Amino acid sequence: MKKVLFLAVKDLRVLLSDKGNIFWVFGFPVLFALFFGVLYAGAGDGPSGMKIGVVDEDKSEFSGSYISKLESDEALEIVHLSREDAIEQVRKGKISAAVILKEGFGEGFEALFNSDDPRLEVAADPSHRMESGYLQGLLAKAQFEALGDKFIDRNWMRDQVNLWRDELENANDLDAEQAELYLNFMDSFDTLLKDANEEGFNLGFDGDILNFAKMDVSREYEGPITPFQVTFPQVLLWGFLMCTATFAISIVKERTNGTFDRLRIGPLGYAHILGGKGLACFLTCILIICILFFGGKAIFKLPIGSLPLFIPAVFCTILCFVGLMMFICTLGRTEQSVGAAGWAILMIMGMFGGAMMPLAFMPSWLRAFSHFSPVKWGILALEGAIWRDFRFTEMISPCLVLLAIGLTFFSLGVFMLRRQEN
Amino acid sequence: MIKAENLKKRYGNIVALDDVSFEVDKGETFGLLGPNGAGKTTTIQVLCGLLKLDGGAVELDGKRDPSLVEVRLSLGVVPQALAIYEELSAEENLRFFGRMYGLSGRKLKERLRSCLELAGLRKRSKERVSKYSGGMKRRLNMVCSFLHEPPLLLLDEPTVGVDPQSRNLIFDTIEDMKKQGRTIIYTTHYMEEAQRLCDRVAILDHGRILDMDSVENLIVKHGGPSHIEAEFEERVSDLDRIKPFIEDKNVQFEEDKVRFATSQPMESLAMLNRSGVRFRSLKVQTANLEDVFLTEA
Repeated sequence: MKKVLFLAVKDLRVLLSDKGNIFWVFGFPVLFALFFGVLYAGAGDGPSGMKIGVVDEDKSEFSGSYISKLESDEALEIVHLSREDAIEQVRKGKISAAVILKEGFGEGFEALFNSDDPRLEVAADPSHRMESGYLQGLLAKAQFEALGDKFIDRNWMRDQVNLWRDELENANDLDAEQAELYLNFMDSFDTLLKDANEEGFNLGFDGDILNFAKMDVSREYEGPITPFQVTFPQVLLWGFLMCTATFAISIVKERTNGTFDRLRIGPLGYAHILGGKGLACFLTCILIICILFFGGKAIFKLPIGSLPLFIPAVFCTILCFVGLMMFICTLGRTEQSVGAAGWAILMIMGMFGGAMMPLAFMPSWLRAFSHFSPVKWGILALEGAIWRDFRFTEMISPCLVLLAIGLTFFSLGVFMLRRQEN
Repeated sequence: MIKAENLKKRYGNIVALDDVSFEVDKGETFGLLGPNGAGKTTTIQVLCGLLKLDGGAVELDGKRDPSLVEVRLSLGVVPQALAIYEELSAEENLRFFGRMYGLSGRKLKERLRSCLELAGLRKRSKERVSKYSGGMKRRLNMVCSFLHEPPLLLLDEPTVGVDPQSRNLIFDTIEDMKKQGRTIIYTTHYMEEAQRLCDRVAILDHGRILDMDSVENLIVKHGGPSHIEAEFEERVSDLDRIKPFIEDKNVQFEEDKVRFATSQPMESLAMLNRSGVRFRSLKVQTANLEDVFLTEA
């Protein structure tokens, strides 16, 4: 064990003797963390809403009320534009959609529910179907809320009833019996609007229309949440990826430099040599975590949801990447070939695993691939401990997957390395 | 001490070792002499267990498995390519390799100082190896293998690409090791190195040992006769009396000069001297390993 430790210490010395290595292994993840942490922090306390342009061609009291309902929705960020500007900005991708309130939008129920001549137009990028669907729901909600305000306005309602009455009287497709039935209802409704006392009438329309309770599941735990908490697992994974690539290359470097053979000639077993490399990689990952953890605590006040779960999550993730390192070092016989192959594999894993883009933003078919990336399981385990409030039983599955991947790649790597050496 | 029996090794279609056998006695310095690709490095790698044999056997100090820890502890290998960490200093390199061989405390400190001294690197021991000259790196590469004072040394072309000063320092070190009674196998393609350092030499080419003997015997067997070139005070045409003393039928006579081959140079010179000629200059060129190698290879 002493020899393994000496080997690991030597590797750390070699690693730290190169400024380039120090930057990529330790500096880059810190910069990554700072960059994204500040970026998200600058976006406010929570995520920003969907940016949409609103064109008010109606300029009526109802359209104004409708727009103020949209503006009060935290899921939307409204900008007022002309029709041309709004459509141009959608085309350029600067806003998610344009909502155009055409002339006549505020002319009562007739205008709102006329499907032959809709007075509300939505211009959206067809590639953003999900966002577009979400927006339509929000527009309908605002529409019902604006209507709710109108229902309280008795004079406006009585005008509407009179309009419907006129239409019923002039309708040619209704027989006399049916027409009388509807007209009696309109008369009774008008009497209600005229005679009901103010308190009782308003009580019936009190509160929001089409409202629903929202529960933000990412904020279940009690305590402060910072943007860094969300980016921290990604940053850690980047650090591990850098470390994996660096140590995979260092093994090949030892082989091409002849120091690997010198070690093999010495009174050491294969297990000592590879164990030393693995330990050095492991210790470097721990160092990365310490720097980011304490840096995150000091700068971003990073809270860890569950430290007892964070520790096994970290250990399993590191062990997985140590195994991966052992496999990657066998993918070539030169530093160049291993460097290229290693980065290609790690970048793909990072890309599909959510180290670059959160998995939630990926299409479902792409998300299915993420199960094959250890990065996904690493991020899941770390997020589970940091902010997803995983229970111990929930943490078992990602940890086991990580350990299985690590063990498989480690065994494969050692097998291939021994084969190449003979 | 070291025994190689019918070593066989192939790399695909290429035969690297073809029935190579030799024995090296305790305290002996044995040379493997041959051109590039002769199989010298393969032999060293097979002896220290870096390569698996296709056939044959190796015995080091009575043990047939070079991967045994006690065998490895008794073995010091100086690889042909530099096998040191250039990012570390000489001292850090030596300390690391020393620890790998189980040295620690005062013993390690003592060996470290001694090896730095031996390599002439004491003053620059804390500098990074990447800043060293080629010769300095070579010397460090060599002493890294001497740290644990192994009784068996395998040196694979340790003087490749070094300046004359470093080369001499390396020779001195090896001669010092010889005096200490260590058993050494030394590979080289420089004849003068083998001639200076080795007690016995095996001439290796295309994976086969062409001949193996002491340097003197090899020269006698394969080096051909010595050559004597003499300049006289008188013209050769006036020196008919010397002709009976020269056996060589291809003798070359010039105005005042004669050049001939002889298997017994000292006797030929004595006879010439007895004939009463007066020499102006005399040059005796004996055969060397280069002649042997060129004859054999």
